[in-house]
Amino acid sequence: MADEATRRAVSQIPLLKTHAGPRDRALWPQRLKEEYQALIRFVEQNKAADNDWFRLESNADGTRWTGTCWFIHELLRYEFRLEFDIPVTYPDTAPEVAVPELDGKTAKMYRGGKICLTEHFAPLWARNAPRFGLAHLMALGLGPWLAVEIPDLIGKGLVIHKERQRDAAAE
Amino acid sequence: MAADWEEIRRLAADFQRAQFADTVQRLSERNCIEIIAKLVQDKKLDVVHTLDGKEYITPAQISREIRDELYVHGGRINIVDLQQIINVDWVHVENRASDIAKSDKGVQLVLGQLIDDTYLDRLAEEVNDKLQEAGLISIAELCKSYDLPGDFLTEELSKRLGKLIQGEMDQYNRGVIFTPAFVARHKARIQGLFSAITRPTPVSSMIGAFGFQEHLLYSVLEELVNTGRLKGSVVGGRQDKAVYIPDIYAKTQNAWVDSFLQQNGYLEFDALVRLGIPDPSSYIKKRYKSNKLLFLRAACVGKALVDQVEASVEEAVNSATWTDIQPILPSCLSMEDIGNVDQPVLGGTVVVSEKFISNCLSLFDEAMQQKAQKEVKNNPVFLITEDDLKQASILTESSAPSKKEKREAERRKKATEGSGSVKAGGGGNAREIRIRKTKKKGRRDEDSDEETGPSHKQTETPFMAQEEIVAVLEERVSDCPEEILSELAEHLVRPLTKAYQEVLRTVFMSSTSSPSGEEITNLYNNIRLFEKGTKFFSDETQINVAKHVLKTVCTDVTNILVNFLAADLMMSVENPSSITNEVRKMKILGKLSEETKGPLMKLHNCLNGKTIEDFLTNLEICAEVCGFMLKKGDKKKERQALFLHRQALTEQLKETEDPALVLHLTSVLLFQASTHCMLHAPGRCVPQIIGTLTGRIPTEQQQLLSAYQSLVVKQLVSQSQGRKQEEAEGEAGKTEEQDEEARSVRTQLMALTPQVKELVLSQKKTSVTED
Repeated sequence: MADEATRRAVSQIPLLKTHAGPRDRALWPQRLKEEYQALIRFVEQNKAADNDWFRLESNADGTRWTGTCWFIHELLRYEFRLEFDIPVTYPDTAPEVAVPELDGKTAKMYRGGKICLTEHFAPLWARNAPRFGLAHLMALGLGPWLAVEIPDLIGKGLVIHKERQRDAAAE
Repeated sequence: MAADWEEIRRLAADFQRAQFADTVQRLSERNCIEIIAKLVQDKKLDVVHTLDGKEYITPAQISREIRDELYVHGGRINIVDLQQIINVDWVHVENRASDIAKSDKGVQLVLGQLIDDTYLDRLAEEVNDKLQEAGLISIAELCKSYDLPGDFLTEELSKRLGKLIQGEMDQYNRGVIFTPAFVARHKARIQGLFSAITRPTPVSSMIGAFGFQEHLLYSVLEELVNTGRLKGSVVGGRQDKAVYIPDIYAKTQNAWVDSFLQQNGYLEFDALVRLGIPDPSSYIKKRYKSNKLLFLRAACVGKALVDQVEASVEEAVNSATWTDIQPILPSCLSMEDIGNVDQPVLGGTVVVSEKFISNCLSLFDEAMQQKAQKEVKNNPVFLITEDDLKQASILTESSAPSKKEKREAERRKKATEGSGSVKAGGGGNAREIRIRKTKKKGRRDEDSDEETGPSHKQTETPFMAQEEIVAVLEERVSDCPEEILSELAEHLVRPLTKAYQEVLRTVFMSSTSSPSGEEITNLYNNIRLFEKGTKFFSDETQINVAKHVLKTVCTDVTNILVNFLAADLMMSVENPSSITNEVRKMKILGKLSEETKGPLMKLHNCLNGKTIEDFLTNLEICAEVCGFMLKKGDKKKERQALFLHRQALTEQLKETEDPALVLHLTSVLLFQASTHCMLHAPGRCVPQIIGTLTGRIPTEQQQLLSAYQSLVVKQLVSQSQGRKQEEAEGEAGKTEEQDEEARSVRTQLMALTPQVKELVLSQKKTSVTED
């Protein structure tokens, strides 16, 4: 599945305990708290490893999340917007992460820019529900997808660095 | 619930804070490596990374670490080891190490190893310990044990000699170090050993036997010899073949040679070689410059010995004998050496004077003469073969005398020139002869079977076999050893055979070449007289008588002539009368030259004719051809011939007892007495002779003769009958009768014979008196 570093990173993310979706009014805040704690922990961890690669924020009730993620390739930083909703059946179902900028540029994407996660991810998530949370989604879902797709897209010329884009436009 | 949300808001804020908090500005490892690589590339930083790439190290640190490691390893460390310890690329280590070796005088880089002075000092101390223990130590050994190059070790050790190392280095061979004590011990040993040597000894064998140090030995030996401590010399330099020759040895050697020469008068090269003188002849020449020594092949001979030999040879020559020089000469002289002495040498060591040999030859003269006579006598011409004739002609052509003369001249020359080189030549000649002889001997052996018969081989009629000669010599020449005799015999065989040929020839000539003109003339005249005698007879009888004359006397004359000619070809016979018709014609006449052949052929043919006249004319021609003078007899000669003939006949008559011969002779004599004509008639003409006598002799004599004749006839008849009867094996009675008759006839004959003889003998006297 993911590489060794990811595994290690994931293993350090605290597992969640509460089995509750957004519809579960009583337990959802509890679950949301655990999500935040896990995310904080994951981000701190990433920063400590000089490996910070995304920003996230949610709406008030924590059902819709938006942010950015970036990938550094050949000393250039490629940044993309990302968004996803917490499904009703969460945490049994993993949220579908979407990168709208890349919609139509790669085959590994559903309509609307939702990324096609690897075939491993869904069973893994199912097996680990409800202990996996959003932090796990980022580490095991989006991270590997970016690592695989972005260099490929850059190589194909479908993704161009923004500064270059600007240069090209200027020219 | 609200508290929960509150907390959630707080957590969300925390999360945002956490997200926007500064990320730790930290260089990753690969960034650091890249940065440093960049710096090193830009020469802004001088560091070296370790082999595993985990560390960087400065050159100064490398140097420091190298020094530390050197110290830790006791002053000697291999750069390869260093590289492993410091874990930096080998190039850097080597560079730093060579820098250190350059900058620090106490550290050297040898064979990829760093070595400092403390290590070398310690090494020197160790070497010293070993040296003191062993007395001698070789650099090569040290090289092996310390694994250091010899030059380096030699240099370093020689620096420390006398300080750390109590010893010295061999000045000739720098590969060895030894202690003074060792040298002294060695010197003492060498001194003792070489003082004890009394004969030349190869130094290398001494080294092998006593385990000396070769280099040390030579230098010490040289020193000892030069200072005079050792009496002797080293020959052959400092190599393997160097030989130490003590003076005492040379002295004794010279003494021995001197005394040997003085005592024996000669020096054998072999003996000198055994003494250890490698080149005897040059040694002798050097040592006896003043003495004149005669150098032979295997020895040299002093003057005294030569004089002695010369004297004895001289004596032998003067006294015409032989002498054996073997007892005089040392046994070691080879045959060749002896052969250098003059005169013919026999048996290897015996000198024989030419005179002695000629004396020996003369011993055989008599025997030779006798043998030649015998040979000529039983030398029938029958066995003359074609080959013989050829050989004979060759022999005659090659005129033996000239050869002989040459040989004689040679011999004379030799005799006059006396001593010197010619003698050697003489020896060679003798040997040559000997070789030829042996060849011939072989051939003779093959032919010996044929020669047992009285064959007539002119070319190589052997006089005597060698053994026979030996036997004769043994008889005549006393106190000669056998082998010398045999060799002498061998020497003599050829001259003897030659001489024998000569003798044989002369004897032969003397026996055959006698038909002088006189003899032939006599015969010729006799034949003429005989011819005259025939005239008294009737035709038939005349022819008979003539034929008889032709068959007898004329044949003799022819034979003599033919034989004379044949003698030129060396194939005559001793008795010409033995030549038969056939032999004469076929064998001899065939070989004669053309001019003589024709007349003789005619003469030969006349013998079968009927008249004597023809023969006489032919004989005259032949005699001319052969170079004889035929004198026609005068009266006086005729009478003399008559007388001789009668004399011969009467002599014959006196001796004979055979009645038939008595009758024959008597009648012939009576015929001659009555007619004064010689008669040569066959026995069967006797009746006719008696018939012609009728009327010329007294009747009583006539009667007596006829009676005797009838008796003779009777006897002859009875004899022939008896012979026939014996053949036919007739009856006994008849035989008896006839025997009786024969006996009576015989007695009568016996009685009458003296009377008949008397007839002639008495008459002869009267006739003699009459004459």
